[in-house]
Amino acid sequence: MFQFDRRLFQNFDWVLLGLVALIGAMCVANLYSATPDTFRGTPVYLKQLYFFIMGFALILLIISVDYRILVEFNYTLYGVVICLLLFSSLFSSGLAGTSRWINLGFFKLQPSEPAKLMLVITLASYYFRKDTGKGFTLKELFVPLALAGLPFALIVSQPDLGTALMLAFIFVSMTLFVKLRWSTLVTLIVTAFLTAGIGWQYLLKPYQRQRIETFLNPGSDSLGSGYHIIQSKIAVGSGLTFGKGYLQGTQGNLDFLPERHTDFAFSIWAEEWGFLGSLFFFGVYFFLIFWGLHIALSSRDKFGTLLCLGVVSLIFWQAFINLAMVMGLLPVVGMPLPLFSYGGSSLITTMAGIGILMSVRMRRYQAPV
Amino acid sequence: MRRLFDQIHTLDEEELLILKKRVEITIIVMVTFIAILVVRLWYLQIHEGEKYADMALNNRVRQLQIVAPRGNILDRHNRIIISNRPLFNILWTRDDAKDPDLVLKKMAGILQEDISDVLARIRKVGSHPKFVPIRLKEDVTWETVTFVENHRLELPGIRIEAVPSRKYNYNNLASHLLGYLAEINIKELQNKSSSVYMGGDQIGKMGLEKIFDTQLRGEKGQRLFEVDVHGLEQQQLKLTEPLPGHDLQLTIDLDLQQIAEKEMEGKAGAVIAMDVKTGGLLVLASAPSLNLEEFIGGISQKSWDKIVHDPLKPLLDKTMQGQYPPGSTYKMVTALAGLMEGVITPETTYDCNGSFTLHGHRYGCWKRWGHGKDINLEQALAESCDVYFYHIGQEVGVDKLAIYAKSLGLGEKSGIILENEKAGLVPTKEWKKRKKNERWQQGETVSVSIGQGFNLATPLQITRMTAAIANGGTLYTPQVVLAIKDQDGATLQEFPPQQSGQAFSTARELKLINKGLVAAVNGEHATGGSAKMETIMVAGKTGTAQVVRLEHYSEAEEEDVPNRFRDHAWFTCYAPAENPEIAVTVLNEHGGHGGSAAAPIAKAVLEAYFNKKNSEPNSEK
Repeated sequence: MFQFDRRLFQNFDWVLLGLVALIGAMCVANLYSATPDTFRGTPVYLKQLYFFIMGFALILLIISVDYRILVEFNYTLYGVVICLLLFSSLFSSGLAGTSRWINLGFFKLQPSEPAKLMLVITLASYYFRKDTGKGFTLKELFVPLALAGLPFALIVSQPDLGTALMLAFIFVSMTLFVKLRWSTLVTLIVTAFLTAGIGWQYLLKPYQRQRIETFLNPGSDSLGSGYHIIQSKIAVGSGLTFGKGYLQGTQGNLDFLPERHTDFAFSIWAEEWGFLGSLFFFGVYFFLIFWGLHIALSSRDKFGTLLCLGVVSLIFWQAFINLAMVMGLLPVVGMPLPLFSYGGSSLITTMAGIGILMSVRMRRYQAPV
Repeated sequence: MRRLFDQIHTLDEEELLILKKRVEITIIVMVTFIAILVVRLWYLQIHEGEKYADMALNNRVRQLQIVAPRGNILDRHNRIIISNRPLFNILWTRDDAKDPDLVLKKMAGILQEDISDVLARIRKVGSHPKFVPIRLKEDVTWETVTFVENHRLELPGIRIEAVPSRKYNYNNLASHLLGYLAEINIKELQNKSSSVYMGGDQIGKMGLEKIFDTQLRGEKGQRLFEVDVHGLEQQQLKLTEPLPGHDLQLTIDLDLQQIAEKEMEGKAGAVIAMDVKTGGLLVLASAPSLNLEEFIGGISQKSWDKIVHDPLKPLLDKTMQGQYPPGSTYKMVTALAGLMEGVITPETTYDCNGSFTLHGHRYGCWKRWGHGKDINLEQALAESCDVYFYHIGQEVGVDKLAIYAKSLGLGEKSGIILENEKAGLVPTKEWKKRKKNERWQQGETVSVSIGQGFNLATPLQITRMTAAIANGGTLYTPQVVLAIKDQDGATLQEFPPQQSGQAFSTARELKLINKGLVAAVNGEHATGGSAKMETIMVAGKTGTAQVVRLEHYSEAEEEDVPNRFRDHAWFTCYAPAENPEIAVTVLNEHGGHGGSAAAPIAKAVLEAYFNKKNSEPNSEK
């Protein structure tokens, strides 16, 4: 499984690499504009550039190994990530929000980020092994549900609603993709709607609902999010057709927009580059998504297809939720825009996912042993 | 079993077709979602774009927090001790003025301050976004408020903020218990939930204001509004009303507390009154008190220095942080130990010729010429005969004494909800070995048996002990809060009495001690005679705790001894002796003799309690 075939390099996916590099360049340029010189220490845009370089190194490492061995190691990986999650919840210093990070000295690891990719790999290998093509019944869904439920519960307790939500999205996307029996699907949807609806409407009092919202997601309290969303909408909207021009955005530079280099990075882009610039960004970004699906179909084996689909849905849903939030369509939850928001853990995880896509693409002519 | 890796097989045509179909569905789903984003983008940037561009250029959205009115603090009869008053602050927003320096110069003139003081305060706030208002000056007068309001247009970026602040209806009453508010500091901000606490908030720094901060503070409201270039409000976008905080009903009785504090004026020490059947504290006074008004808006360095350097140590809460030798009040412990261990019976007598000799060393009785022959327990308690208790102490031994002392709550924290309570000290042989690495000397037991030596207790512990002796041996956790109530007076949370221990005793021993304590107030040679009341039978014990044993002053008259070397005066009592309701303890630091310097204060509290009870018989159970 480790031997190299020259054909592997002939099949290297230059398109994907080019797309990632282009988005990376936009990201770093945007961060340069979003964070003026008031920040002390290494500028944020440089840090993000270093993370990109680390990410490319990681991609090289991943593509040199046949992705198919993941089917052997998925439970080991699962165990490691669960341990990291447990570690970060148990040994947190108790300060607000810090249980999400593990301090590695040079870098604070947020174990909930690799947990997303871990779930993709786990579900891909589980469904690959169990799929009979006849569709899953409710009973057969128990194991994958438990596999996804454990990290979900750990991340909800951190509390990090955004990431937990992502795990749910990955689970639903991949499970729907491998096909459920119609009866299973209908039962699941009806149960989910009933429990959520009844629980929310009748079991909880209004102030309890408010408490839960604030507990799950401190950013959503009325003092913070209303301000965020209005400022973000002003930033995006005031970009008009052609934008205010690079480095000319007022919302960001006048300190109006909080978290503008992390979750709200796109609003700076939209403000400075306008509707056309934003469409260009969408074009590049979603071309990468569809290219990912193209890779999924070009795989020689089902495991590769499932892996790619998981990675693509991981990136897509994060991007959709983030963009919808920035444009005021969804409430504020902590959700980065993959490859574009500042943040090492998220970027490295996404780059690892890109590495898996490339690995599948390169081996599209290589038959499994 | 085949390795999983080898199970991976190339897809056949049929499988590929199925997957292709599913990917197509995926693409349709994704395109739908992307279309939503594009439409939204078009709506914001093209359709509504001019509106937002306008908002970005000419308008600024501001958010202003509305501080919730803090809950009141009430006494046990719902009389308001602390309420709120509006405090006017000057707010300044840098972004709102074209020439912020000019505005600051004008403001310095209005406030009659030097411009450099104003700038120094701004620097102290530290880095903050330019659009966030900061407090230029707190607690300005009504004249300043009206002047600023009338000159609004000349002062862009200046606004008046009205914040509910504390109003102390009884000045410094129960200051240590109630505590004060001040601006939250960085350390507290890091340790608190960020959704509730924000920079600039007032937060309880001491006492009940600190402990019940969450319940008292309520929930902040918020106002989102647009302002124009002058910082004048254009339009309100969103208003969330604040939720007022909850009220705190204390066990404290305002009248008794006032009398206790009046009695302690000019002195240092503590007065505590406890309901012996519940552990609820009716009085919890530490003297000298703190001037709470001084702490509003941050205490000045000058006032702080004065407090810190005051020899009477106002910052120390003497009721539970002050640790003193319990002196003769400890004889209740020694008596209980003697009776329980069978060392003495009510009939046992010892002779007191003024001293007790052990291994050639002479230990004096406070009465130099002795209490005379055949002193029994009742006489010994009534006249506080040291020699009698030296005998018991020797027979029982220090470790047994410690067991009874601990069973009466000495040497351990009482568990009161307030912070920084001290545990006092009950010495044992093992303790001395561990702490000082020395053997216990027999002579030290002699000192311990009359509450001197290594013994240390807080006035709160002595009160709790006395209450236990009065109520049949039950130790209660002292309580200061009766209930938490909402704004309409409905009770949200009650604090029922909490039993936290039982004295090693039976009714027989407690009855005997009670007899001695009654004689100590009402008897012929009673040491606590100045606490005697006409209609109510009081049982009590005086104590005189030696601060230093200085030969130099041993023969001197009380008045000639410098204050800091004078003995601490103790008096602890309960009444009515036949069916006790209330226990009162007084500690008068360096006051001299318990009988003369502490007992009259306790009597004043008792009189007020029983007068009040008789005048309004149906007010409470």
